[in-house]
Amino acid sequence: MDAIDSVFDPLREFAKDSVRLVKRCHKPDRKEFSKVAVRTAIGFVVMGFVGFFVKLIFIPINNIIVGSG
Amino acid sequence: MGGGFRVLHLVRPFLSFLPEVQTADRKVPFREKVIYTVISLFIFLVCSQLPLYGIHSTTGADPFYWMRVILASNRGTVMELGITPIVTSGLVMQLLAGSKIIEVDNNVREDRALLNGAQKLLGILIAVGEAVAYVLSGMYGSVGQLGVGNAILIILQLCFAGIIVICLDELLQKGYGLGSGISLFIATNICENIIWKAFSPTTINSGRGAEFEGAVIALFHLLITRTDKVRALREAFYRQNLPNVTNLLATVLIFLIVIYFQGFRVVLPVRSKNARGQQGSYPIKLFYTSNMPIILQSALVSNLYFISQLLHRKYSGNFFVDLLGKWKESEYGGGQSVPVGGIAYYITAPSSLADMAANPFHALFYLVFMLSACALFSKTWIEVSGSSARDVAKQLKEQQMVMPGHRESNLQKELNRYIPTAAAFGGICIGALTVLADFMGAIGSGTGILLAVTIIYQYFETFEKERASELGFFGF
Repeated sequence: MDAIDSVFDPLREFAKDSVRLVKRCHKPDRKEFSKVAVRTAIGFVVMGFVGFFVKLIFIPINNIIVGSG
Repeated sequence: MGGGFRVLHLVRPFLSFLPEVQTADRKVPFREKVIYTVISLFIFLVCSQLPLYGIHSTTGADPFYWMRVILASNRGTVMELGITPIVTSGLVMQLLAGSKIIEVDNNVREDRALLNGAQKLLGILIAVGEAVAYVLSGMYGSVGQLGVGNAILIILQLCFAGIIVICLDELLQKGYGLGSGISLFIATNICENIIWKAFSPTTINSGRGAEFEGAVIALFHLLITRTDKVRALREAFYRQNLPNVTNLLATVLIFLIVIYFQGFRVVLPVRSKNARGQQGSYPIKLFYTSNMPIILQSALVSNLYFISQLLHRKYSGNFFVDLLGKWKESEYGGGQSVPVGGIAYYITAPSSLADMAANPFHALFYLVFMLSACALFSKTWIEVSGSSARDVAKQLKEQQMVMPGHRESNLQKELNRYIPTAAAFGGICIGALTVLADFMGAIGSGTGILLAVTIIYQYFETFEKERASELGFFGF
């Protein structure tokens, strides 16, 4: 029983600390969440499409390069 | 160390040979920073698409398949090494400095210059080493087939690209751009991958004829061309071995969840001792170490995979080699192998619910490993990277900040109540989200999505700060 306790006590302590941390946390409200979500989505899409179009453009270019190589 | 001799001094003779970007000697306007950042990004993207000259083939099994997401590398191109050299050298230097193997006094200008020089030198050496390893390992066809001339050419191309990445990152870091080049390249690579899987116009022949690779394109194509709309819809949502709409929806869901958790933070009030008690706050985020745990965990797993595959190829049948991992060619082709036994198998995500039910121990082991590894890496990282409670307390003290209601000596104790827990628990949350994403079949892998979202989030924070200081600048 002592052996088990020595294993589980730290875990129990950690779980307690984690719960306290989460409760203490400031959580984003709907407005804040929406704002960040939209911004991040825009960043995501912009970055993604920049890469996408570079790749798209390079497919024919690469076919020419590799074809002649 | 005798008589003040220090390891860093070994680097001094090399400093003059290393390519270097001059520190910006004036305030670079925000608009110029954006331009520099975009140009750097384009250079990186173009290199990611340029094929290597002289390679014989890239059809062999790709041992780095699992690692490419987080290292912004692309098979068979000039950017094969991706950001590996710079990330590896950065991690190594961080570990050496953090664990005091190398003495660095950040208040001494020379020490900082030497540290940067050492990191750059190490990055170049790693690029050379990896390029040679790639060629000798037969990644591009055996050396006999390539010929010595082509082999050397390939090595030079890879090294040159490695140096370009190092210089681009330095350019951005030295004040000409926003944030770090590493983060920018990783995030863009992942976003590109996801967008490509959603909108790719390339077609692949399967048993049912030509199909579009992109999930969204395929959806519309199927709806238009099939007479049976219901079956077309089901096909678009659930087809196997190509990206489907369910994958896309899962990606969006993970995206939203990550953003929500990004907003969790404990805000500790702080006050300046001078400046008439100017009030402020020090936020401790739930994701205290950001995406670092997932990077380290992925790096660990990828290296284990690499070693395991290497050994399996040469010593298949040996007990210890099999214990580490057994591999076989993936049914879906593409050249990658999948683990089917040993430790490598158990630390790989189950591929489906059916797989999970067939081997519940595998699922459980994977979950525990994932969460434990992330928590441990996260907790370790705060010590190594200088963001532990002790380090933060020291920083605040240097900035003459105190916490209202607490004596100065208690600052560290108060921080200790939150920071280690935030690091460990945050790491576990990161691990859990990755598992969830992989299980749901999100495009780009859980690791990738988490990395991309946290990086973009950081970019917007940087963005806000830059704009704020710009306006403040005009205000004066």
